Amino acid sequence: MSKPSGNLIGSPVDGAFQPADQGRHHLGPMQKISPAIRRFAPGEEVDYLIVGVGSAGGVLLQRLARAGFRVIGLEAGPFWDTEKDWYSDEIGAQRLYWQDLRITGGTDPLALGANNSGKGVGGGSVHWAAFTPRLHPSDFRVHSLDGVAVDWPMRYEDLKPYYELLELEMPVSGPAWFPWGDPHGYAYGPHPLGEVGNVLVRGCTRLGIRVCAGGPVAINAGSHDDRPHCIYRGFCIQGCKVGAKASTLITHVPDALRSGAEIRDYSMASRIALGPNNRVDGVFYFDRDGREQFQKARAVIVCGYAIETPRLLLNSACPEYPMGLANSSDTVGRYLMAQAGNVILGRFPGLVRMYKAPPAHALTEEFYETDPKRDFARGFAIQTVGPLPIAFGKQIMAAMGAWGWGLRRVMMDYNHWCALALLGEILPWHSNRVTLAKERDQFGIPVAYAHFNLYDNDKKMIKFGREKVMEVMSAAGAEQVVQEQRYAHLVGAARMGSDPATSVVDKFGRTHDIANLFICDGSVMPTQGSANPGLTIQALAARTADYLITQGENVFRSDHRDLTEPTPRVELSPPGTFRKGIPRPGTGWIFRRRALQAKA
Amino acid sequence: MKYGADPTTDRLPLDAETRKPLQPRVQPGYYPDYDVISQQRFWDAATRELVLKRLNPAPPLRFFTPEEAKLMQVVCDHLLPQDDREPGHRIEIVPSIDERLFAKKGPGYRYEDMPPDDEAYRLFLQALDLMAPANYGRPFLELTWREQEEILQALNKSRPPDGAGEIWKRLSLPKVWTLLVGDCITAYYQHPWSWSEIGFGGPAYPRAYMRLERGQPEPWEVDEQRYSWEAPPDTLSDLDESSHHDHYPHLTHGGIHD
Repeated sequence: MSKPSGNLIGSPVDGAFQPADQGRHHLGPMQKISPAIRRFAPGEEVDYLIVGVGSAGGVLLQRLARAGFRVIGLEAGPFWDTEKDWYSDEIGAQRLYWQDLRITGGTDPLALGANNSGKGVGGGSVHWAAFTPRLHPSDFRVHSLDGVAVDWPMRYEDLKPYYELLELEMPVSGPAWFPWGDPHGYAYGPHPLGEVGNVLVRGCTRLGIRVCAGGPVAINAGSHDDRPHCIYRGFCIQGCKVGAKASTLITHVPDALRSGAEIRDYSMASRIALGPNNRVDGVFYFDRDGREQFQKARAVIVCGYAIETPRLLLNSACPEYPMGLANSSDTVGRYLMAQAGNVILGRFPGLVRMYKAPPAHALTEEFYETDPKRDFARGFAIQTVGPLPIAFGKQIMAAMGAWGWGLRRVMMDYNHWCALALLGEILPWHSNRVTLAKERDQFGIPVAYAHFNLYDNDKKMIKFGREKVMEVMSAAGAEQVVQEQRYAHLVGAARMGSDPATSVVDKFGRTHDIANLFICDGSVMPTQGSANPGLTIQALAARTADYLITQGENVFRSDHRDLTEPTPRVELSPPGTFRKGIPRPGTGWIFRRRALQAKA
Repeated sequence: MKYGADPTTDRLPLDAETRKPLQPRVQPGYYPDYDVISQQRFWDAATRELVLKRLNPAPPLRFFTPEEAKLMQVVCDHLLPQDDREPGHRIEIVPSIDERLFAKKGPGYRYEDMPPDDEAYRLFLQALDLMAPANYGRPFLELTWREQEEILQALNKSRPPDGAGEIWKRLSLPKVWTLLVGDCITAYYQHPWSWSEIGFGGPAYPRAYMRLERGQPEPWEVDEQRYSWEAPPDTLSDLDESSHHDHYPHLTHGGIHD
């Protein structure tokens, strides 16, 4: 890495404020850490082996290590150095995504890879846009309320303390008052608006739609400790070199390592091993040199997200579980969900320059809930996005059929275009599923096949939703509006539930079939709402961690399932996060919950 | 006007008022005084190294055969035409695609009705050489520019000319079309010359943007200087009525959301 030039007025510092020492990694310009603080000895058994150090895995690793458990995180990708490995560039960012082969099909096949799958420590939280709305209370009861899909085996109130905790730990920037779902405010101030946000606010306001600006988004609007503020460069989903956007790599992994966790990067899990007494006893994986290794563990938590988690379970089939581990219900891989993510593009007479400001900075959830006046159940959100030139080019290729001179013409007008996105709730369907393909990856492991169809309710929602977003764009003053159908996020495929016949895990992520095998990531979500899943995934992980810590040795020794909600352990938050920021209306549930539980 | 009479002029965009050909420029587009590369000392070291490599001459092709490369070059000249650029300032497309296919770098998924990308490219080129003789009696490379445009325009609309029916059974036409055009877009719009052309600010770490609203330029960016132009006389690829409506539901692609 070259040194800053002498003239600091003409040229700002050359990225990081100080170079990292040998063997230490930059996590943003200020934090530096050695990934190898602790190495367990070969053959040593650990308490928890976590497969996948992403949104959920990073939080679990941090909590369990802080509570004193011996814990290893296996990660298929690298442990990043954000200064050396990340770029302000669309192509340079490609290694952040899961680029290994998967097969996708069905009547409405999902694009995978860059669209929704991360690889490397931090996982998807490295390349998310970092919108962090909560689910609504209604999301946990969609079957009771609307007669569709399924209820969660838990309530919104069970997750609420963890939403509050994670909003401080990331932390989330947002408005002082957020009016939808369970209304609440944010402890850290919102971002200034970019022009895409202005377009959304203007369009919504002219149509009488409530709208919210400046967040909620897990990007620092102001600097806190060693986390710098946002510089509005627009490359959020290419990995935030600035260190302003939260990823578990910079928010939870440093504390995990300092608390004694080990992260083994370039370690691709191939099979979970079932030992005696119907308990798993470790995981086979391929190390960075392609050699197969085995790590012993007293319990295993799979955090591989909605494609790799079911793939690993299915690839771990054994005589006792011929259909795949923890799959006696034939539910592993089923109820895979993506959200409708149509991108609506509007051309404005004036300049927009949508590459400035975070893609995620304004939204409306006015259409989130079921409306009996519409012909479908559930709803959608409208959010800002900010495609950079290559992404925008591909969008107009699809939306307008642009090629040749037409393509060059629209691209020359890049700075006149603005993009908004639909984020719509597609329901969980039995036939939308992950299975194994006949193809194999570079390690010889069968790859995943994702089958995805839209059904009637989904199609009606998408049609209504995209027309609403186009209406907003026109109301904001766009002279031309086009749209492209696509999808965002992945959840489901190992859902939680009370009934072992129709779900894979219980409400804490423990598999119904095997008492010391857990799943904790987006795949456990029974439904998805119209909220970006990242915050919910991390909040579920913090709750599962509190549960595991409360259960102590019982997890390793007993098959008894205690389904009592755990007490939120605020002392497990990364240092300097809890009780920081400004308390807002609608928050403080953590204290109430603790007081209630203390009384009981 | 008889198309193909003067290949050099017929392929240049026209001034919309005078209807005369616009002479090729070092940098077409509405930001003639803007040069994003001049800002490179404000970029972080890793990004600077990555981006500036794109200014180097392209390495020799390793995936496409010389015959395939010739055909690919013509196809890319249609899909992403650069006749408005001076010859020394055109962005190489084929080497970038060649590199990806040689390295077997994929996007992380494959549609079940598509072969691997390298095979898809070869099949597409074969399809061109089946459709051209079937409809015009000559190989694709011997067709006039306009005839080649006719074939490609039909493929864009997923209405393939006769001759390659067997290939479309093995290859989804809309998906291979978006694969090809998408790869051209990637190759062209990753190059800093194209960023200057469209007025994109480029890498902004660690300096930051400070004027976020109303499309205002940073002090080092420039305002737009528009000119009206028409697509070259022998092209069929300019926007038409159907581009303004939802007429392309068959086209979809991977890429990034959030």
